[in-house]
Amino acid sequence: MSPQQIPGLKDARADSGPVITVQHLVKKYGEFYAVNDVSFSISEGEIFGIIGPNGAGKTTTVECISGLRVPDSGSINIHGLSPHKDRNRIREFLGVQLQESSMPPRLKVGEAVKLFASFYPNPLNSDGLLETLGISHVKNSIYKKLSGGEKQRLSIALTLVGNPKIAILDELTTGLDPEARRETWALIESIRDRGATVILVTHFMDEAERLCDRLALINHGKLIVLDTPEAIAAQAGGKRVRFVPSKPVDDETMYAIPGVKEIERKEAYVTVIGAGDLAASVIDSLTRIGVHISDIEARGGNLDDAFVKLTRDDTSKVQERPQS
Amino acid sequence: MTSMQGDSKDGRFQGHFAEILRVEGKLALREPTGLAMGIGFPIILLVIFGLIGMAVPGNVAGTGRTVLDIYVPVIMVIGFISLGISSLPVTLVKYREMGWLRRVSTTPTAPSRLLAAQLTLNLVLALATILIVIFGSELVFGATLDVGIPYFVLSIILSISVTFSLGLVVAALAPSQTVASGLSGGLFFLSLFLSGLWIQPATVGGPLATIMYYSPSGAAVEALLYSVFNVTPPYTAIITMVVYALIFMFIAIRYFRWE
Repeated sequence: MSPQQIPGLKDARADSGPVITVQHLVKKYGEFYAVNDVSFSISEGEIFGIIGPNGAGKTTTVECISGLRVPDSGSINIHGLSPHKDRNRIREFLGVQLQESSMPPRLKVGEAVKLFASFYPNPLNSDGLLETLGISHVKNSIYKKLSGGEKQRLSIALTLVGNPKIAILDELTTGLDPEARRETWALIESIRDRGATVILVTHFMDEAERLCDRLALINHGKLIVLDTPEAIAAQAGGKRVRFVPSKPVDDETMYAIPGVKEIERKEAYVTVIGAGDLAASVIDSLTRIGVHISDIEARGGNLDDAFVKLTRDDTSKVQERPQS
Repeated sequence: MTSMQGDSKDGRFQGHFAEILRVEGKLALREPTGLAMGIGFPIILLVIFGLIGMAVPGNVAGTGRTVLDIYVPVIMVIGFISLGISSLPVTLVKYREMGWLRRVSTTPTAPSRLLAAQLTLNLVLALATILIVIFGSELVFGATLDVGIPYFVLSIILSISVTFSLGLVVAALAPSQTVASGLSGGLFFLSLFLSGLWIQPATVGGPLATIMYYSPSGAAVEALLYSVFNVTPPYTAIITMVVYALIFMFIAIRYFRWE
């Protein structure tokens, strides 16, 4: 079966059956479990994020999907094919951008893209792609003269030039300046809009929140949670009120305030996490005992909070309000 | 983004190789250290020994040969050593270390084609070296060679096999570019010495001469020395090279890693 004949590849977003199914994936390095029983499936046309702290097993997971590593157990299915056994067929429609991979120092941008285009059955137009990525002006520059952002874009170009149906992007925006990051995000959305499925490995929560349809949070090789960014953010639990008190207030007094569930302190700032009309009750209670508060900021929990909470929950219990 | 129809499936795999070879060729010209070592070094030696040969005419140790005549095989083998033991493994280890082989292996092309392109490129340079040394020594410096084609071709094939496969052993075993450079640098000078660049085995005699004759580069020089004067090379030299080449290839294939 050639990739053209794989069902659903043509009009990707019309049908959202799983394109990739990972079941009970296990990968060990010696005695160390890099990935330990991870399962998920990815729908066609989805931007699927894999997040987690450094060393969580994110890269190993996508390396197994892209066929660069052979799992110790479990199964991976991409359009009915196995990344390991059918690697040649899968490579024609799977584009992989690797973390920390560089190129021959004197290879020119245009040459690299044309070379990679020559590897694929239906490549994109190289010049058009460089234009889209905003690196057509360095087409004749050699790799070692490129800036970090240009190298990163070239790496993306090499991933996309084969016109992949599935793109795996590992730590795509690391090392890019804020403007380049935003442009790269727009680019990822355009890949998806063309009908491709994207797997995005990242440790930037803003990136995950902004781009991904669903997120898999991996920590210590295990899948902690798999849901939409909104649903995961909701797990951060309640509202947050951050302020600077005019004089120190001990934990006991803070926990006595109605609605307060958790307290975090950083320098002069105190953050309380809880429910109800939190800001009002904090101001009320503290004013009553003669503490004035300034620099007050109230917000709902976001993905960042959820990430910190979920990865911390996983290692040690959160410091919660003592039961009385 | 506009889509462009690529080549048809037929001939695509040859296409991969041709494109990789073309790019590798350009890179070699852009970073000409390999070229300078592989071709430049033999040319310099050719000029040096050519001038010596002309200044001190004829009859080394009663053989009726000039210094250049005797050194023609040494110069050729040194070219193979430069390409096979220095240039080839350092490039391959560099590609592996920078993740380039791995990057290529994520595409429908196999990284082995990069290896094949590197081998082809160095092979072409080796052939250029042979032509330069043979014709240069005869036409410019008046060497009186009498190349016996069958044995010459056999000796060349074995000499290149033995030096290139030794280079692949370095590429297979060296974990980093630094180690590869050190290892190939050491082997480079050792091979140069054993090839008889500084002292010829016939002059030293004794156990050292035996070591030289039974070393990869020494055996290569010996076989070529007989071949360029249309004399059947000693079978020991031929067998020595075959054995080394087989051992080196076995180790290289057994231990080579793509990442």
